[in-house]
Amino acid sequence: MATSIASLPPPGWDGEGLDGLLAAFLPGRLSEIVGPRSSGGGSLLLALLSRATTRGGLVALVDASDSLDPLTAARAGLDLRALLWVRCGGRPASAWSAADLLARCPGFRAIALDLGAAGHAAPPSLGTRLQRAAEGSGAAVIVRTPRHLLGGAAALVVSVRRVRTRWIGADQPKRLGGLVSEARVLRSRADPRLATPERAWLIEWRA
Amino acid sequence: MTRIACLVVPGADERIQRLLLETALAHSPSVEDGGPGVVYLDLRGLEALFGGEKEIARRLLDTIAARGLTGRIGIAGSRAGSRFAARSGDGITIIPPGCDAGRLGPAPLALLDLDPRMAARFGRWGIRTLGELADLPSRGLAERLGDEGPWLQRLARGEDPTPLRLWTPPPVFEESAQCPWGVATLDPLVDLAADLAGILCARMIRHGFSADAFEWSCRLADRTAHAGACAPPAPLVDPGAAAALIRSSLEAHPPRAAVEEITLRARPVRVAVAQPRFDEPPRPSPRQLTATLARLGALVDTRGVGSPVILDTHRPDAHRMTPFTLGREAPSPLTPPSPCPLPPWGRGNRGPSPLRGEGRVRGGPTASGPKARSPILAMHRMRPPRPVEVTVAAGIPAHLRAAGLTGHIVAGAGPWRISGDWWTDASFARDEWDVELADGTLCRLARDGRGWRLEAIYD
Repeated sequence: MATSIASLPPPGWDGEGLDGLLAAFLPGRLSEIVGPRSSGGGSLLLALLSRATTRGGLVALVDASDSLDPLTAARAGLDLRALLWVRCGGRPASAWSAADLLARCPGFRAIALDLGAAGHAAPPSLGTRLQRAAEGSGAAVIVRTPRHLLGGAAALVVSVRRVRTRWIGADQPKRLGGLVSEARVLRSRADPRLATPERAWLIEWRA
Repeated sequence: MTRIACLVVPGADERIQRLLLETALAHSPSVEDGGPGVVYLDLRGLEALFGGEKEIARRLLDTIAARGLTGRIGIAGSRAGSRFAARSGDGITIIPPGCDAGRLGPAPLALLDLDPRMAARFGRWGIRTLGELADLPSRGLAERLGDEGPWLQRLARGEDPTPLRLWTPPPVFEESAQCPWGVATLDPLVDLAADLAGILCARMIRHGFSADAFEWSCRLADRTAHAGACAPPAPLVDPGAAAALIRSSLEAHPPRAAVEEITLRARPVRVAVAQPRFDEPPRPSPRQLTATLARLGALVDTRGVGSPVILDTHRPDAHRMTPFTLGREAPSPLTPPSPCPLPPWGRGNRGPSPLRGEGRVRGGPTASGPKARSPILAMHRMRPPRPVEVTVAAGIPAHLRAAGLTGHIVAGAGPWRISGDWWTDASFARDEWDVELADGTLCRLARDGRGWRLEAIYD
């Protein structure tokens, strides 16, 4: 059951690592991370927020399903004092409105909207509103959703899928070692070369 | 000629000290806070108002006696003289003008509140009283102690040329509005509060203050009181932002009856104006952030908006919310948890669960070193944990069934037994499993006396 990943990555996968992918999420743009649960999308979102706080910025997380684990976030390097956590208690409509409010408050480096497993659709034209608000405030607005919701409003769409689970243990799994996921850029208005089908990022998330 | 009165009330706490200072200020415009239980007053020019020194002292003692306090008063030409007089006698002790040096002679040297180093030096010289210090040759004292020597000698002789360090009461920023007809709906009440906030902010701007908290209280038509408080993320004096904040607070805690009077109080702080650095990331303006937080609080819930703080325990998902602030001065609460001295389960309790990796986490992001910056697998918590049906085969979970999540378990690790807080009423003990479903979903399951629960989904 335990799987070695020594043979990874195969030819064609990006060698820049996670930093190269995180750099694609530009300030002042609306971005979207698409992928089912346990695909690594939430980890990618956490890595984005952590990178913003390590540079001294303030970040906001609109949590539609009230599911952030602060302990994991702290382990990922997120400065919890620089995090504004908005817990929406399972009300996706409120989450969309909260993200819209925050995107109009300049001064945050990143504003993330985590829609959880359900991925409630955005109210009509809210994607365009968010994109305009992001341009005005200069914040990187990122929406994490299980399926593509924002249509053409997102300047960057990153698709994440699970490659394999890494278990630790010789004969049988003793503990969860992590998750290997693959990220592909489906659309990038700023740098269309990122969205070529042969380009992908292989990321190993450590449990 | 300087005449100083020293009011001494032994055992005074902060509240009593404030009372003493206010009492003194009602008699003299020049008042100094001399430390716990000690207040100095400048008596010059008060004869026309209150009479002689003895009458002033009597009035002071009567005023504090009406508050249940007993004190002593000494009057002399210097602080040290008046303090010595207050300590040496009962009630009122007056040293006539020009007699300070003679009366202070036998007083102990400790009256000057010397620092330990200087007190030890005088002790080695055999100087025990103020008179002995006053009789030393000034030139030799200056050669050995520098400027401090002659200065102390002047104090010992009852010469105290420094003026009192004036105490002024901190300003109170409070405004009230009465509405005897009773305000029964929220909108006009919020308008009233916004007007009061505007007046308070204007006053604070004039005094150079900002508000870091607002308190409001309402007198209701049913003869009860209703109060609340709110704090902006950063000190502010913007009337619009203050009004938005108070509106949010009133909407979160609406009064249960018509309001006949509303009082708004601001807590003033002085905010140093600082030029931001060029390399500093931009921050939200306090005005905009306050307004945004107020709207967010109205949209979701005020308790659901803030920054998380991890609690000092091994209990899973132990955290609390704190108000989001722009300042980063608060120390990080990520401190090592108290060691568990006597584990109740000899074999099962293995300390920090490797599933969770507490050993790395507790040091905090800054203390964990570069390893903490490697990508970490995120976990989506179920709040509250969702009950699930788990089929167990040969002691290992084999199938999971829950609302929206069903499948065969193809891999899993566990059980990892965790427990803690057994020395309190809120102890916990359970087994945890990490499992992978056939569709690739990675879950954290927990089992205790209440059955199986889905704790989290890795993402």
